[in-house]
Amino acid sequence: MTKPPIGQLRSRLSATIAVRTGLAVVGVGVGLWGLGLLLQSLSVDALIRLPLWLAGAVIANDFFLVPLTISVGWMLARWSIGPGHHRTVTTVRTMLLYAGITTLVAIPLLLRQGKGVNPTVLPRNYLRDWLLLEATIVLVGVLVAVVQGRRLTFRRSRASSGDIGGR
Amino acid sequence: MKLPELPTEKAFPSPLHHPRVATVIGRWLGVAVTVCFLTGLFSHFQQATPGWLVIPSRPASLYRVTQGLHVLTGIISVPLLLAKLWTVYPKLFAKLPWPPSRKALGAAFERLSIAMLVAAMALELFIGFLNTLQWYPWPFPFKETHYALAWIIVGALLVHLGVKLPLIIANWRRTPADRTPVPEPAESLPPAITGLSRRGLFRTVAGTAALVGVTSLGQSVSAFGPIAVLAPRKPNVGPQGLPVNRTARDAGVAIVAPDWRFTITGPEQLSYSLDELRALPQSRSDLPIACVEGWSQGARWEGIRVKDLLKLCGAPEGSSLRVVSMEKGGFYATSELPPQFAEDPLTLLALRLNGTDLDLDHGFPARIIAPNRPGVLQTKWVHRLEVLT
Repeated sequence: MTKPPIGQLRSRLSATIAVRTGLAVVGVGVGLWGLGLLLQSLSVDALIRLPLWLAGAVIANDFFLVPLTISVGWMLARWSIGPGHHRTVTTVRTMLLYAGITTLVAIPLLLRQGKGVNPTVLPRNYLRDWLLLEATIVLVGVLVAVVQGRRLTFRRSRASSGDIGGR
Repeated sequence: MKLPELPTEKAFPSPLHHPRVATVIGRWLGVAVTVCFLTGLFSHFQQATPGWLVIPSRPASLYRVTQGLHVLTGIISVPLLLAKLWTVYPKLFAKLPWPPSRKALGAAFERLSIAMLVAAMALELFIGFLNTLQWYPWPFPFKETHYALAWIIVGALLVHLGVKLPLIIANWRRTPADRTPVPEPAESLPPAITGLSRRGLFRTVAGTAALVGVTSLGQSVSAFGPIAVLAPRKPNVGPQGLPVNRTARDAGVAIVAPDWRFTITGPEQLSYSLDELRALPQSRSDLPIACVEGWSQGARWEGIRVKDLLKLCGAPEGSSLRVVSMEKGGFYATSELPPQFAEDPLTLLALRLNGTDLDLDHGFPARIIAPNRPGVLQTKWVHRLEVLT
């Protein structure tokens, strides 16, 4: 492989630096514009409390949601080394993630069920619908696990019988 | 007793905490955030149109599509943001360079921009979603905060892209996955193999985003209504089969008196009773109610073309209108109808909805319905139009 000449490398480098500087400068400008809008349109009281909510959002994510995901993932990884578990672990993991995300989105709906400002806001039975959704996720997961388990067993039995070359 | 030590950047063994993963998910999130920002900006301009901008009255369903997309991309950003933050989580425990130097200053600046980006995005998605439920448990105004945070997010995102550009370029293309080939079938396998693969992660993240999208899309696309289990609105629910944002009671509009009259003030001042309005030539428009909260539904409206009313009172061409409602207080007791909307033949002073007289909650006796406008500007309980020339 031939290396590009030094001059070309240098110009590419200076182009990158220019783009990065440009992005940073425009970014800071746009961000300050947003900050200006906040200062302009919010009362002092709201301006004092908003940072608490911003920090709360970070704390909820970094010290609750992500650690929760990581600990469940760690437990799942430990479980997955058990005999036979490698066949279903992918399905179990996918199922947990689907159920987790849909539940997270459903929480406000469940909390506010029946408390809509008028009967056309939040008109569903969200508890029933959420249970149905989770049940569907679990059902599909179980079906996939069964089908995959069968396929693996089938492949292995054929492989061990020497019919074909196996996997 | 010794306190447990904080984890370090190296304490997270999954190979998925990798810049390639961050780049791919960042790309998806970047697309979602861009669409969300631009459609949000359009909605903002619809409600606070700057002097230099003329918003066309067609396509009639434009706002329905853009605002539906705004809320949809916001919802699917939730799993995308979580996945992105999970991927880069070990960076949270990286040590800042010490002692202070230019490099340390740069690192601190980067940390600050990321802290702002994460905080603003997480809160923006949270308050945006709760707004679709019309639930406001926070001590600051929603609209202004949501709008300002959007600009802060875009600014912090541009800084973030500038900082990470070399890493993004290096990981833009496919790189070989850090995977060990699966050995012969065994009774159990080590976590290095049973763990989530990179492609598996992408599939799962895309899958969860698609799932929350599909289960909430039904509030704007009626065909998906029956499975919209994560949507705060359901199509065809409400008086005359159409949802309502602000009821007559909320707006302080009680029973309309029998001597109710509608007036239009222009070069000539005209006044009509409800029966006289009904006797004027009626037109039909199929137009959606498209709300800032993302829900929308098409409906069949009947009433008098605003264009015809303008002609009757002798208003010159290119006139704009002030629409005055009977509702008490609130930001939208009056609205302004720019010339292109006033002249559009689809724009009606509507008296009927889906074949019957307007329900009181839909603005009885008369309301404005115009193409390509947010629901909050489709003023209800109208009793006066003022020509502004």
